Amino acid sequence: MASSRDRGKEKPLGGGAHFLRHLGENWAIYRKNRMGMGGLGLLVLFGLMALASFVPPLLDPMYHPMNGMDPEIDTSTGPSARHLLGTDFMGRDILSQLLTGARVALLIGVSAAFMAVAIGTMVGMVAGYFGGIVDTLLMRLADIVMVLPGLLVILILSSVAGQLSIWNLVLIIALLKWAGVSRIIRSQTLSLKVRPYVEAARVAGASHTRIMFRHMLPNVLPLSFLYMTFGVTSAILIEASLSFLGFGDPSTVSWGMMLQWVWKTGHMFKAPYWLLPPGICISLITLAFYLIGRAMDEVLNPRLRKEVLEQ
Amino acid sequence: MNLRKFLLVRSGQIVVTFWIILTLLFVLFRLAPSDPLSVVADSLMSEEEIQILKAQFGLDEPLHRQYLLYLWNFIRGEFGTSFHYRQPVVEILGDRLPKTALLFTTATVLYALAGISMGKILAWYRGSLLDSGMSFLGLLTHTFFLPWLALLLIWVFGYKLGWFPLSGMISPEIWLDPESSLLAKFMDVLHHMALPMGVLFLTHFGGYMLVMRTTMLETLREDYILTARAKGLPEKVIRNRHAAPNASLPVVTSLGLSLAFSINGGALTETIFSWPGLGRELVASVAHGDYPLAQAAFLFIAAFVLVANLVVDVIYAYLDPRIRY
Repeated sequence: MASSRDRGKEKPLGGGAHFLRHLGENWAIYRKNRMGMGGLGLLVLFGLMALASFVPPLLDPMYHPMNGMDPEIDTSTGPSARHLLGTDFMGRDILSQLLTGARVALLIGVSAAFMAVAIGTMVGMVAGYFGGIVDTLLMRLADIVMVLPGLLVILILSSVAGQLSIWNLVLIIALLKWAGVSRIIRSQTLSLKVRPYVEAARVAGASHTRIMFRHMLPNVLPLSFLYMTFGVTSAILIEASLSFLGFGDPSTVSWGMMLQWVWKTGHMFKAPYWLLPPGICISLITLAFYLIGRAMDEVLNPRLRKEVLEQ
Repeated sequence: MNLRKFLLVRSGQIVVTFWIILTLLFVLFRLAPSDPLSVVADSLMSEEEIQILKAQFGLDEPLHRQYLLYLWNFIRGEFGTSFHYRQPVVEILGDRLPKTALLFTTATVLYALAGISMGKILAWYRGSLLDSGMSFLGLLTHTFFLPWLALLLIWVFGYKLGWFPLSGMISPEIWLDPESSLLAKFMDVLHHMALPMGVLFLTHFGGYMLVMRTTMLETLREDYILTARAKGLPEKVIRNRHAAPNASLPVVTSLGLSLAFSINGGALTETIFSWPGLGRELVASVAHGDYPLAQAAFLFIAAFVLVANLVVDVIYAYLDPRIRY
């Protein structure tokens, strides 16, 4: 909490090229963070799972996660050589569903977080740079968006609009999640606005858009990137919760949906091989992004780093 | 600004915010691709009932009149009739609200207090086995996917061990029996509440503990703590009276910020445990296509969040004497 407040006091960074040049240096700091490396390792694992999800249906159509059915099995069965993690109530392969779930989670998480951060960065920069009534209106709007319970808003939307497709869901999550980022970026912009190089650019006759995009954006991007890692988790959790409640996109399979099937078909007391994997995956992917975010926070926030070393 | 004026200003902001949410909801439901009538009338209703509803919600009038009538209906507490229950929406929600408040408020107070006290102790004994063990545990439970944890707890403590009921809020046999005492009824609710509360506690406690631990570590490095030590004050006084109150301020802020998130968790918990509260009602009404109930349940929850945010602000002002708005 405190760290986000203090970030404005950091030494000025000298533009995007500077940031890129220091990427190697930052990586050296990041690499020393064991928790951060653990998180990255987990993420690589999930990435490999997502890639591997294309393999099972190629081996045999019965491994298709949604409509592949084993001709000999039509109920939930435990792990076997044929189905390493067992099958669900329709005889579909659980491992194959789990792998596809990784792909869907990463897809939704990363794209929703990217959009949310893009919107939040733009709004925050505009509010901080122009100030006045623009600032007041945008930040009041951010306050309202921030107090809304996202999952319930999406429920209401889906009651009106019917089943939401994955891409509609991504868009809605982005529209609900930009507010927190915009507040942080705004305070960063406020401190950048009075730096000499921005003054210099203004005197040299640079337009507002040029100042914002060429001179200020590179300096707020590292922060935006940090908040994206937190955004990914919350997007994944919203999708998983929504699917768990039975409002997910029926054309695909996600971890939340797998849990809903276990629960709704009454298998939760008799099929631990089915109940455990999706929950473990959602929890671990949350952990992965949490650890990565914390490690990045330390890289970008030298004060925090010093504290960690002191301990 | 004194506290009263602050409360007035904040209440004014809440009213404006709520009005904006109301308006957005109106636009949403009227923009819906479906027939506007379907938002207030069920296909099972008779022609006569539909005519009454049309007049009540002004559906044959121009849009701006509909909007004014919508606001007026809201102020009067007229939310229409639930398709599913065939009962005025306001009666249903009036019944659900206290049940949500009971579960949610108890859980929030418990995990916030426990998180603050535990974080305080961890920071005090930093580097110890207790510190690293609890920090790890807190991180672990913090990342648990709430519905999954709920299912696991039901499986272990409800099904395998049989310690707690699997779902619901009361046992009918105890409540219908005129013989049973108030205490027995109370204990029965508590018994049903244990698991859902355990879920909310476990998923939220870790976050508060970790935040409190960090801010407490920062506070302990402040000069005034050194002064207190130099004065020879007992360690316990330094920890509990000098450091902890200041360190808990950011935790209170994060309590307000994460409220929306906790409400999502509350709705999931209620649904899984069939706890008859607002969140479960909202989920069920969306599944049933029960528009009047869904809309009103959402507004009730939004109002609940806004008021809870105000409460957090007041607690903050109470804890930090420097803030006199």
